[in-house]
Amino acid sequence: MSDWLAQVIDRADAVANAQKDELASLRQNALAELKQQQWPTRRTEAWRYTSLHPLEDMTLPALSQDVPAVPEIDGVDSLDFVFVNGKLQGDMPKLPKGVSVGGLTDSAMQAAATEVFGTVKPRTHLFGLVNDVLATDGLVIDVAAGAKISQPLRILNFVSAGSETHHRVLVRIGDEASVSVIEHGAGSGASVNTAFAEYALGAKARLEHYRFALHGGDAIHIGGAHFSLGTEARLNSTLVGYGSQLSRLDYDVIHAGQHANAKLNAVYLLAPREHFDLHTNIEHAVPNGTTEENARGIIGDRARAVFNGRIHIHRDAQKTLAELNNRNLLLSRGGTISTKPELEIYADDVQCAHGATVAEIDDKALYYMLSRGIKREQALVMLNFGFIQELVAQMPNKALAKWLEPQLRDRFMLMDVRNGS
Amino acid sequence: MMLTIKDLHARVEDKIILKGLNLTVKPGEVHAIMGPNGAGKSTLGYVMSGRDGYELVSGSIEMNGEDLMEMDIEERAQQGLFLAFQYPVEIPGVSNMEFMKESVNAIRKARGEEALTAAEFLKIAKEACKQVNLPLDFLKRGVNEGFSGGEKKRNEIMQLILLKPKLVILDESDSGLDIDALKVVADGVNSQRDGKRSFIVVTHYQRLLDFIEPDYVHILADGKIVKSGGPELAKEVESTGYAWLGKPEEAGA
Repeated sequence: MSDWLAQVIDRADAVANAQKDELASLRQNALAELKQQQWPTRRTEAWRYTSLHPLEDMTLPALSQDVPAVPEIDGVDSLDFVFVNGKLQGDMPKLPKGVSVGGLTDSAMQAAATEVFGTVKPRTHLFGLVNDVLATDGLVIDVAAGAKISQPLRILNFVSAGSETHHRVLVRIGDEASVSVIEHGAGSGASVNTAFAEYALGAKARLEHYRFALHGGDAIHIGGAHFSLGTEARLNSTLVGYGSQLSRLDYDVIHAGQHANAKLNAVYLLAPREHFDLHTNIEHAVPNGTTEENARGIIGDRARAVFNGRIHIHRDAQKTLAELNNRNLLLSRGGTISTKPELEIYADDVQCAHGATVAEIDDKALYYMLSRGIKREQALVMLNFGFIQELVAQMPNKALAKWLEPQLRDRFMLMDVRNGS
Repeated sequence: MMLTIKDLHARVEDKIILKGLNLTVKPGEVHAIMGPNGAGKSTLGYVMSGRDGYELVSGSIEMNGEDLMEMDIEERAQQGLFLAFQYPVEIPGVSNMEFMKESVNAIRKARGEEALTAAEFLKIAKEACKQVNLPLDFLKRGVNEGFSGGEKKRNEIMQLILLKPKLVILDESDSGLDIDALKVVADGVNSQRDGKRSFIVVTHYQRLLDFIEPDYVHILADGKIVKSGGPELAKEVESTGYAWLGKPEEAGA
């Protein structure tokens, strides 16, 4: 066991003694589980391409007092919950009818919290267990059955240099309710943060979900988003990830009820030397579920991307439709992508497709652009960026896409594209 | 002279396609190039635009006295060459608007003109879009993404209108169009005939030439021009077909 994990376990006992909320027994279970876990090495399949050395070697500097400004988004009138280094800033916004929101240890939210905590997120995620035992900050969101919440809930999670935070979001969406949640994390100073979110969708519930994991630099960010879909529930989720010295996200989508539909788009844009690892796991446990997953990444010089996309179709999950596609563009020979689609199909009447490619620029498209007078360098920028812009444009919230696009473009322009052909 | 092609031989991979083509085009002229499939009609446009794989073997192509073959693809466009493609490529993720704005500004810059602002460009793009009878949301869509064949052709003509080139090659811009779409394309082209801009209209059928009246018609067979004449030549082809050329191998002999 690593020193890092040993100190987590020490602190977990302190957390357990201090917090006498209704999650206490669930934390105890997670702690017992955590104590059984092996510290991952490069021989551990789920961590084969992502080294935890940066975490083990991390010495946190003194806590920075910088507080970033909350980005205003034109055309997005969101209910904002701003966390700086794990602590909620200011008052709760005034909430519309049908949704209640509280802190993780808020007594009014315990019914929803205990129902969701640890029930959606599989116990296999080591850092999920770490988050279970250490997270006392975060939000519980409870959307009443039938409530249609039009204002997006935006959770901003800023981390400063020197901070260690463990943040948790628990969301219960009642039958036939609909809601949009934006999880926005940022911070590039030397810091360690885990951020896990669990979403339990009732029958015919709808969730529009965004996760912007816009960390960078020396930040270590490990987290995940996990969804359980009731009968005929619909999930539309978009992930935008930057890399950092160590960024790792795990997504799980569990088709718990029949005829649910999940659309998952992920975009990662890695500046030179950054590391980003995305593991997704789709569990089709019941028949008639649909999943469409697209992940696309652009990888800068000496950056490293890892994508592992698993689809597990259980024996009874007949008539499943599942598609998984991962495409990557390497901007230089110094970048690395390790991509693995993983299909496990135990039902015989399913339609399932997968693909993973390391793409090159489409010569015909390049010729077409050049023939219109556009300089080669500029044409390559446009084509490369178009490759991920296609997924950004699919975001249901167009105002949000419009806000995001120039930021991604700026980031992309800073990456070396001269070797892009 | 707008264009002077002398004894052009060109190949695609190992196959010689153009075998001694000569053509001169003066400013303001419209030349139609007709011919059977496989004659090398599209190859001419690709060689002129500089497409990879279309290689000059011998001969020369000059545009306004400059050697076209010495220029990069984008430079040829900046110097005023425009090829309207038979099969325009789809580029998802790059909006039509962004693509055309970059293109217009690249060409303006090459001419020493100021780049247009987004607002200025939007104004002229909307007008051009209306002129080719495409809904305005086509400006926001990915370049040619999901466009029908006719919509792609009209999108080419919209670019022609916006880019204001000196020499235009229309590569089978009539193929796959119904009569209404054909009229839109022809009207768009005719609106750009200003007595200075030159056109090479490459087509298999005479139909397009009912709407875009050429000054000269050339018959291309087996890699060279075998007959030239006025508009009446196109009508002759319409009634007799290309059978009189015999088999391509024989025509060149």
